[in-house]
Amino acid sequence: MLLITIFGFALIFIGIWGMLTQKNIIKMIIGFSIVDTGIHLVILSIGFRKEGTAPIIDATLSKAEAVSRAIDPIPSALVLTAIVIGLAVTALMLVYAFKMYEKKGSLQIKDFKELKW
Amino acid sequence: MIDFQPVKILYALFSIFIIFNIGLLIQGIVRKIGARVGKRYGIRFYQPYIDLIKNYSLRTSITHGIMFYLGPVFRLTGGLGVFLFIPIIFGSVYFQNFSFSGDIILVLYFIFFGALGMALGAGEGGHPYSAIGVSRGLAQVTAAEIPLVIAIMGIAIQYQTFSVSEIVAAQQGGIANWTMITNPLLTILGMVAYLGSMMRSPFDVVLAPQEIPIGPPTEYHSTFLGILQTNRSIFPMAKTVLFVNIFFGGATNWFILIIKIFLIYMWSVFVAVVFPRFRVDQSIRWFYKYALPLGAVVIFITTLLF
Amino acid sequence: MVDPIYIFVIVLGLAFLLSLFDKLSRNLSLFLFFLALASFVYISGSWFISLLSGKEELIIFTAGFKPPVSINLKMGLIEAFFTSLTNFLGLLSAIYLFRKFRAEAVYSLILYLMIIMGINGLIMTRDLFNLFVFLEITSIATYSMIGISSDLKSLTAGFKYMIAGGIASVFLLIGTIYLYRSSGTLNIDSMISSVGLLTTKTGIIALFLVIIAIMIELKPFPANGWALDVYQSVNSGVVAIIASGISAAMLFVLFKLTPLMNENLLTAVAGIGLATFFFSNLLALKQENPKRLLGYSSIGQIGLIMTVYVVLIKAGFIRDSQIVWLISGGLFLNHFLAKAGLFWLAGIIKKEKLSDWASLRTSPILLFAFGTFIFALIGLPPFPGFFAKWQLVMTLAAKGMIFWIVIILLGSFLEAIYLLRWLGKVLKREFQEKFAIHFSRILPIIIFMLLILVLGAYYSTLIFAGNNLNILYLPMLFVFLLFILDFLPVWIKNTLTIAATACYSYLIFPQLAGYKNIFGVIFLIGGVLLLIPGYIKKGKRMGFYPFVAMMYAGLAGLLISKTTLQLFTSWEIMTLGSYILIIRGKKSEPHALSYMLFSVGGAFAMLLGFGLLFSVNGNSLALDSLANVSQAVGTIYLLLGLGFLTKMASIGLHIWLPGAHGEAETDVSPMVSAILLKAGMFGMIILMSAIHSAKIGFVSLPYSLGWLGAITVFLGNLMAIYQEDAKRLLAYSSVGNLGYVLFGLALMTHLGWLTSITYALNHFLFKALLFLAIGGVVMRVKTKNMYEMGGLIKKMPLSFISVLIGIIALSGVPPLSGFAGKWMIYNVVLEKGWYFQGLVVIIGGLIAFLYCFRLIYAVFLGQLKDNHRQVKEAPIALLIPQYIMIFAIMLFSVYPGFILQPVGDFLKELFPQGALIWNEGSAFTQFGYWNGGLIFMITGGIFAIFFLLLFFLNRKAQKVKQFNIVYAAERPSRPELTHVGYNFFAHYKKALGSLSQPYVTKFWDTMSDLFHSSGDFVRRLYTGNGQTYILHILLFVLAVYYITFGG
Repeated sequence: MLLITIFGFALIFIGIWGMLTQKNIIKMIIGFSIVDTGIHLVILSIGFRKEGTAPIIDATLSKAEAVSRAIDPIPSALVLTAIVIGLAVTALMLVYAFKMYEKKGSLQIKDFKELKW
Repeated sequence: MIDFQPVKILYALFSIFIIFNIGLLIQGIVRKIGARVGKRYGIRFYQPYIDLIKNYSLRTSITHGIMFYLGPVFRLTGGLGVFLFIPIIFGSVYFQNFSFSGDIILVLYFIFFGALGMALGAGEGGHPYSAIGVSRGLAQVTAAEIPLVIAIMGIAIQYQTFSVSEIVAAQQGGIANWTMITNPLLTILGMVAYLGSMMRSPFDVVLAPQEIPIGPPTEYHSTFLGILQTNRSIFPMAKTVLFVNIFFGGATNWFILIIKIFLIYMWSVFVAVVFPRFRVDQSIRWFYKYALPLGAVVIFITTLLF
Repeated sequence: MVDPIYIFVIVLGLAFLLSLFDKLSRNLSLFLFFLALASFVYISGSWFISLLSGKEELIIFTAGFKPPVSINLKMGLIEAFFTSLTNFLGLLSAIYLFRKFRAEAVYSLILYLMIIMGINGLIMTRDLFNLFVFLEITSIATYSMIGISSDLKSLTAGFKYMIAGGIASVFLLIGTIYLYRSSGTLNIDSMISSVGLLTTKTGIIALFLVIIAIMIELKPFPANGWALDVYQSVNSGVVAIIASGISAAMLFVLFKLTPLMNENLLTAVAGIGLATFFFSNLLALKQENPKRLLGYSSIGQIGLIMTVYVVLIKAGFIRDSQIVWLISGGLFLNHFLAKAGLFWLAGIIKKEKLSDWASLRTSPILLFAFGTFIFALIGLPPFPGFFAKWQLVMTLAAKGMIFWIVIILLGSFLEAIYLLRWLGKVLKREFQEKFAIHFSRILPIIIFMLLILVLGAYYSTLIFAGNNLNILYLPMLFVFLLFILDFLPVWIKNTLTIAATACYSYLIFPQLAGYKNIFGVIFLIGGVLLLIPGYIKKGKRMGFYPFVAMMYAGLAGLLISKTTLQLFTSWEIMTLGSYILIIRGKKSEPHALSYMLFSVGGAFAMLLGFGLLFSVNGNSLALDSLANVSQAVGTIYLLLGLGFLTKMASIGLHIWLPGAHGEAETDVSPMVSAILLKAGMFGMIILMSAIHSAKIGFVSLPYSLGWLGAITVFLGNLMAIYQEDAKRLLAYSSVGNLGYVLFGLALMTHLGWLTSITYALNHFLFKALLFLAIGGVVMRVKTKNMYEMGGLIKKMPLSFISVLIGIIALSGVPPLSGFAGKWMIYNVVLEKGWYFQGLVVIIGGLIAFLYCFRLIYAVFLGQLKDNHRQVKEAPIALLIPQYIMIFAIMLFSVYPGFILQPVGDFLKELFPQGALIWNEGSAFTQFGYWNGGLIFMITGGIFAIFFLLLFFLNRKAQKVKQFNIVYAAERPSRPELTHVGYNFFAHYKKALGSLSQPYVTKFWDTMSDLFHSSGDFVRRLYTGNGQTYILHILLFVLAVYYITFGG
């Protein structure tokens, strides 16, 4: 599905744009989330097959048919894992944002420049 | 080439005696002439003898330490050493001194022996003027040796030997064979070097009586001064003999030698009368600025010619 | 054999159980935690051992399916090697963090286990998506571990790390999925076997994205600002895991994927690695924070390893071949152990400035560890990095990949600069407070230190078929023994070292022939002599004897080297030992640094030269092959010459010498000046006996060396006369003296070499004598400034005699031995026709008189200073070697033929023409003659006569007191008024001012400034803003893409 792929990449670019331009840490994290979602769409679109069926081999889908009719199950499996990981990373980022705000009282990324050069 | 016989020591002593007297006489005569030129009466020509006898008969009652003794000894050993390693009379079996133990390089380096030792002795005296004098003296000597070294190098290039006897031998057979004629530029360089080593104006700031910090003589007196005076009559003569040998065809007998010595010596006297005294940094610069390039040119031409 | 899958099982099980057990008791959970880590080491270690002994590798299939359907892991030899290392690191770092783990919540234990598990997974997995999962496990666990800290700096760094890691995973994920689409599999092995499927545009871009994601994790320049922040701020135990463990895993992942890459991608990876290596080191130059510095170094090292592996593959070596692993593995081990160790140390010291690390000196064992790690990183023997670097250069040179060698060596040099500067600060700076030492924190450091030493020794047997380096084992064993015995008092160690050096000389002398005999005398017998002064020291003198022994070991090694590898290893061992000796002087820090930098630079030039030699000579390591070089002759000789001349301190490369020799300790100065400099000469002899008439362009090499030698004589001596510091004066004089040696060698005639070799021997005698005597004086009067001395002849007459003899021999005034050298110089100049060079040499020699006099006058003559009235003669241990030297000088003066004849005899083999002719003690050349013994007799005779006469005449004289003098009607009241030793030769300076300007120093200063300021300029790139770093990463990816695929 080309459209979903394009849509997914569009989200990725929007997300990255957000991460690059937003000065607020929370907004950067949101950007990251958007990128994540975009990637999930892209992954899904790879395995997608028009008018395919779920890759469950049972009475309605014989082993022989599976190759031609079922959608590829692997991207679906991958996307599940990716979602979990994305969740963990986003959560962790938010924790960081929280702790950093606690310490410094600011959420501006440019305020955290003690370490440089 | 080595035929050392104990009797040679006697001949060597004899030639030392002769050269010593020549040195003293020339000193007296030159001072006398200088005085007459300056419309003064001047000393008696034998005055150096009297000074010497007086100094040797004095005794000192103080000593600064062992190095203080060594100073004049070094100095005189240097002067005598230079003389003893130069063959005096060409063709004579007897008046070759100890020249068989080393060549012209040995002579060249022996010139330094005395200067260094002297400086040490004066240093122990502890008088700051000695130190100033020594520093000036050494600094000037190292610069003045430049043309000397180059000239000797040039001689060696020309005659392809370092042996003084062979250099003299090559100049035999008339004045046309003298280095003075065959290589005039080299001779000019040599004579510049001669000025530098004679401690006469314009290079006499180290030892000039008008200068207070004249180094060693400030400190040395009595017998010490006597030894220094002895050296002062031998050392310049030794150097002059060397110049006679390498530039002016050497000498086949004492008479010719004395004539040549006198004439060459007068060269430094004339220059001294004409030119005023240099400061030490001026003389160093002079040697580096004029003598060194002249030396380079001379070496270049010599390599082309020979 | 335990299945490695249990590593994952244990972690996943413990992750849940640990918090339960923790409720029972913290000790229990800690016990289980360490048990788990230990079991990982056991599992991977036992696999490694059994795989080494030839067991088949294991492929683990999960869920009972075969790939590509299932995820599979592999435990091969290399996997076992990497997991063993990282698990061991994991265990040690956990021990290091023991106190932290005990104090903090149980979660950090769990997170730590997760990190280790992730690393294991990254190494073992053969599935691309699984790789992503393990990467995320490792990363998330690491982020969380960092996040536990409440330090703002590490939080900020952690956040930047997360952002960068997040972006990397975006690329990785997209790349993975498209690779899957192109190849229909996620299994790496299947992809490799169907690599043809990846030739589509999508496939290539997908692969590019995967690779670039992994590259970002490996912190490429310039997209690595975040990594530096992490290294700087995060807890040291954790950083050790990040810098060594995770980097190791990621490197391995990259290696795993190389079979997929095409030529373009390989080049890109190699190029990025190289740029990272070079720029990290350049940017680190101005760094003041130790952990950030280590960060730069880590990033650089990873870049280096990456480059080396890929370049070797590009050069056509098979991926898993021994040579590839020997080299990249050696570099990797070196970095892995050293960097973890240094980060651990950073956690103990806890100082924000390099110079504050000086407090390391309170703990000798940690100091030793620090030095070990630093030297390992610089790549000195006997560490794995040295051998790996050697093999690398040889291998690449043989393949003609000179560009890579040059950049790698340049980068290594930059790294050496800041590491050595740091080491210098640690060794020399003042420190305020001590640091707390806990056993749990020191143990891991010591283990890694020992490991790196053992591995170094092991590596020495691997490179170029084993026994090549056996000549160094015995002496190095003794060095090691001395390290262990370092707690003994100084006299025992000194006696031991003397005995060992003497025994070793006895052992190797039969192997020496020709000119090597002379060097044997200088290096070994001279070495024994110059160890005697060591008895003046009291106490323990920790850290002296092992390094002295190391220096001598290196010198002895040079003598018996038959291959370039032996020579180079000996050379570096000698350098290492001498560096530590030199830096022991009170004010030696900057001088030792510049010594070492010139040495390292010179050594790299040599290394490159040997590499070229290896490549043009049919891969031969034999030293003899130097003589039949057919191609690149000039370049090889020039490079080798540069290396040797650095040690000889020829003008232009001399600026390290005055400080290094002048500031060294009393008994070290003579060693380094009289002995060590000859090592450079030894190298030049080896080189020039092979060289004959090499040309570079139109210029003949000996001819240019002749001029270089002449100018060195002149300028070295000229600079010496201006020195106020007695030891510096001697040091500059050494510069000039070695100029003679070089000049003599450059003449390439029998007499020239004879002059040079005997001059070297003579220089050894008089310079050791002078340095010992002056050293004794300095020791007594506690100053090196000559104008603060004077009149010491009365207090130290024996030292005075030494100096007197020394300067007479130095200045070349007859009748002492120095004259032989002068006489031969004249003859040889005339023979060769090098009049102008010769005159420069000779005029330089005249100037030597000036400093000789100044030395003896200003120190011993003139007036005694008030505060020196109680000064005593130098200690007997200093005087004994001096009088042995004097005896030798006298012997050499009376019987010059004693040395000259045998040396001349073996020189006839090299130069049959123009030998000296001997006749009853007289030596003849075609031009002149000279009889040392006779001159000695005549001079001595006259001297004695007049001396005795004077003494006799003035036998009643009294000794004069100091102020019994009057000048210009004034009596001096204070000793200062009687001293004029300051700026003694002012008129010379006035006359020749421009010649004595420090142009060379200015040149090198400018060079140094150039590097430092450009590094400082570029590092402003790392603004500290997390967002900028995202931009860096994106721009980096785009740039690499365009460069790799040309848009």
